[in-house]
Amino acid sequence: MFKKILIANRGEIACRIIRACREMGIASVAVFSEADRAGLHVQMADQAVGIGPPPAVESYLDMDRIVEAARATGAEAIHPGYGFLAENPEFARRCEKEGIVFIGPNSRALELVGDKVRARLTMEKAGIPIIPGMNRVAAEFAEYASEAKKIGYPVMIKASAGGGGKGMRVVCSDEDLRPALEAGQREARSAFGDESVYLEKCIEDPRHVEFQVLADNDGRIVHLFERECSIQRRHQKIVEESPSPALTLELRKRMGETAKRVLEVAGYNNAGTVEFLLDREKTFYFLEVNARLQVEHPVTELTTGVDLVHQQIRIAAGEKLDLKQEDLSQRGHAIECRIYAEDPANGFLPSPGKILFLKEPSGPGVRHDGGIYGGWDVPIYYDPILAKLIVWAETREAACRRMRSAMDDYVILGIKTTISFLKDVISHPRFREGATTTGFIKSHFEGWQEKEAPEETLMLALAAAAFFDSRRTRETGAPSLRTKEAFSPWRVLGKWRIGEKSD
Amino acid sequence: MEFEYIVKAEGHRISLDKKGEGFVLRHGDRTLEADIRVISPQTLSLIVEGRSHLVYVVEDKDRIYVSLGGTTQAFKRPGEEEKPFERGEDGAKEGKTVVTAPMPGKVVKVNVAEKEAVRKNQTLAIVEAMKMENEIKSPLDGVVKKIYASPGDLVDSEKPLFEIEPIA
Repeated sequence: MFKKILIANRGEIACRIIRACREMGIASVAVFSEADRAGLHVQMADQAVGIGPPPAVESYLDMDRIVEAARATGAEAIHPGYGFLAENPEFARRCEKEGIVFIGPNSRALELVGDKVRARLTMEKAGIPIIPGMNRVAAEFAEYASEAKKIGYPVMIKASAGGGGKGMRVVCSDEDLRPALEAGQREARSAFGDESVYLEKCIEDPRHVEFQVLADNDGRIVHLFERECSIQRRHQKIVEESPSPALTLELRKRMGETAKRVLEVAGYNNAGTVEFLLDREKTFYFLEVNARLQVEHPVTELTTGVDLVHQQIRIAAGEKLDLKQEDLSQRGHAIECRIYAEDPANGFLPSPGKILFLKEPSGPGVRHDGGIYGGWDVPIYYDPILAKLIVWAETREAACRRMRSAMDDYVILGIKTTISFLKDVISHPRFREGATTTGFIKSHFEGWQEKEAPEETLMLALAAAAFFDSRRTRETGAPSLRTKEAFSPWRVLGKWRIGEKSD
Repeated sequence: MEFEYIVKAEGHRISLDKKGEGFVLRHGDRTLEADIRVISPQTLSLIVEGRSHLVYVVEDKDRIYVSLGGTTQAFKRPGEEEKPFERGEDGAKEGKTVVTAPMPGKVVKVNVAEKEAVRKNQTLAIVEAMKMENEIKSPLDGVVKKIYASPGDLVDSEKPLFEIEPIA
């Protein structure tokens, strides 16, 4: 087993991995940019190495600096977390060459699954159901046009280098194809440096169901069942759960076996996720492989009792997979909500800044994977994820109620977060019914605003603010600026509005 | 003692008067009696008509944030200087409009030049934060009077970026 691991990431996932290291008796090395000097992962790790300025390209994405930090600290392995260098075959190759173990799949498998068109072609040949569409990038517009006709509108434009919804476009008719293709290519070029796009049949209002798979270095493979991640905004998941309310035992078994087959075909090792789309008729299609530890991995951990990060580290150290498919089962129900530093009432505008107060929820079946603390200044440079709140309960309904209650106990003051929005999502009758598809947020939450607090809540909150101010005044000895003596203009009765005459 | 706060542009008055061990609270025509205890500098416990409320209070410049019963309220203290810059069309009536940054971030692009005529909703600049690009749009038809930001600048929320003069 490794004695020391470097974690090439930040925020909540770095903290999650550091915890696993501690539990396994492995020393941890954090790396940090100048913006993250005070970050929680730096505080938690045994060693910490500064790797450069705040922009990710000069720090968390700089392979030289990260390899150098591993060398300097004597780390034998690097865990990339998710994002940054996690699915970069060049980085995996570099580690292989330097004799550092990359905790993730081998570089060849990474390369294959990272190229969406090649992955589609490979999987189709192996008999894996793929979404009808093109298996190569066309050379000219006429070819796209004839392919689109063959597939049948609506079609989806996708970037070959794909990911994060970049370059993705839905096209409903012939005349929209050209401008959408050009826009998709432009976006793909700026996101991935590769403008290759291809067309797929657009599956309308599908569910997003993915399977967690573990494979050791000798080809032993198990799947750890599914996660449903249909609740998305901007093609990004915000609520995930397991089991999926849509799967039957038979379908789950078939999809699970298909997921294992996908990783076999790809020559894959370590932890991976096979994503599927499930249409209204419950036909499933292979979408892609996420070749990393996923943000939503905790829901699998809570329902299967398997620690995925421990497994990743053991597999990377060359240990045999000690799990057998027939011994694995799903127990109860788990839900995860992603807590982002965003303003959900204002188009999910990013909301970085100082966290003035933080109280994390706790209680039976409540897990909080966070990368934040009260007083932490959330930087502007990185992904807005602050933390994940995950609950487990015996049934889906009980898990929904537990999540709702935990979110009522979750306090983050100073920056805007998605907590109040997620509360409404979890409480929505359609969500409770399990009617979750990727169009859920668009159909039910467009133009969402937070509900007004009940009058008594407002009154008590005002009283608390007043009490706070009265104490502050006493402590500083300054006359209160806010008492009526100091501000006679406000002495009129009733509510008043700025810029209006009071009544 | 009476206190005043602005809640979503609306003024609210609350009075707090000691009565025995507790306080009498008045807001509009409602009166409640509350037992208030300080748990920590940021935490209060309120018992009102037998109901227990745990309240968290912090302040940030001119704002007080109060969390209570799963909701968060932001209150502004009146009397302290109003924002020097008005946003949007209200300001336009006074002859000019200052367009401000909607959130802290980095200016990645400025699309217009001073003295340039702009149309309503035309993109003036792009500010990036947390891997998301946000277009800053002109709130009105007008002429760019002044530009306060250039590419690479780090800007704070509500920092002025442009001054736009409406077309007469």
